[in-house]
Amino acid sequence: MSAALAPVVLALADDELVLGHRHSEWTGFGPHIEEDIAFSSIAQDEIGHATAYYRLVAAHTGDDPDRLALGRAPSEYRHAIVCERPNGDWAYTLTRHWLYDHADSLRLASLAESKHADLAALAAKMRREERYHLLHADAWLERIARGPVEARRRIIDALTIAFDEALGLFEPLPEEGDALAEGILPEPSETLRARFMDEMSARLERLELPRSVQGRAAETAEFIASSSGDLIAGDEAGDGVDRPGAALGGRRGRHGPDFDSLWEVMTATYRADPGASW
Amino acid sequence: MSATVADVVDALAGVKDPEIPVVSVLDMGMIGDVAVEGEHARVVVLPTFTGCPAIDVIRSDVAEAVARVDGIASVSVELSYEPPWTPDRISPEGRAKLRDFGLAPPSSARPVMIADIGLPSEATCPFCGSTDTRPDSMFGPTPCRALYYCNSCRNPFEQFKPV
Repeated sequence: MSAALAPVVLALADDELVLGHRHSEWTGFGPHIEEDIAFSSIAQDEIGHATAYYRLVAAHTGDDPDRLALGRAPSEYRHAIVCERPNGDWAYTLTRHWLYDHADSLRLASLAESKHADLAALAAKMRREERYHLLHADAWLERIARGPVEARRRIIDALTIAFDEALGLFEPLPEEGDALAEGILPEPSETLRARFMDEMSARLERLELPRSVQGRAAETAEFIASSSGDLIAGDEAGDGVDRPGAALGGRRGRHGPDFDSLWEVMTATYRADPGASW
Repeated sequence: MSATVADVVDALAGVKDPEIPVVSVLDMGMIGDVAVEGEHARVVVLPTFTGCPAIDVIRSDVAEAVARVDGIASVSVELSYEPPWTPDRISPEGRAKLRDFGLAPPSSARPVMIADIGLPSEATCPFCGSTDTRPDSMFGPTPCRALYYCNSCRNPFEQFKPV
């Protein structure tokens, strides 16, 4: 049994669970009925994918999938920080959905080539389903990017924050070296990150959205290891300003107050009666 | 008397999809493999959608139905994504039953790959048979259903999504 499998799959599961939870917060509050249903359905897909990932981990470690999903301390979760950010306005939610699902699509395409057969099969299956998320996200971004001034401005504001934060999805896990050596991960995160940058830059250009919203952290965040071993974004200016690109650390269990409040809600039922069957 | 694979398959014909109760798990092509060894039966279930909330119900319904087969003392039900479930696994009878239920079967018999992203696939209206339909939303009441509108008979309808 490989020791690197569990951390790799847990990070995937946590991304899907936490973002799925955020999406589910639109249930009953979507700006119109189709979008209410769309986000509820996407949330159900993401949480369903998280369930499948947790089951895969549990099958290898003998753990309980529900405990993995809901019975860990906040610092044990390995999702990227972009997933825990509050929904904000509709424009931010859509923009993050667009960035996340394109990142996830690249990641799944890569994982479908994993030497770990169960992970490869699961990734291939999920990829077929995620196609609908991309259709949804692309249709909205296209519509809004060419839409009224106010909507376009909000998308640009959202991109300014979310684009750099989304790069945190490609922050390498401490176990990445082992996972690569064993073929669990077919490609390093750095390769996927570069692919994401190329693809999304081209998409932004096609949508005539300013390319300046992306790139700063992309150029400066080189995931430097600090003396404590934590990965930090490069702070070239040296002024200690918390730039969007600094939304790293999620893969090592570093999360912010946004996650504390989400975790409280998400795990409340489980914590009330751990091990209950429902 | 010992049970055979055919006995187990017969029992599976009685296990319905909880969200589409007119079709069985066999009609839907959700049974990947059946094996019988002595008094133990092993059934592999292929989920249509990974996030299908009905999957645990289907799993326990399968276990329950197979456990009732004469000569079977224990059952294991496993979920598998290899091979992935695709619409071409639905039997012709299954497709007819979906149509009669008012749910358009997936239009595409072949797997739709991510590279095919473009316009959503066409759907045939389950009420009047017209192909003059338009997609309303790729998201419906369950993860596996999309919403369409028929321009001919002016009915909204749902399609089982090609995946």
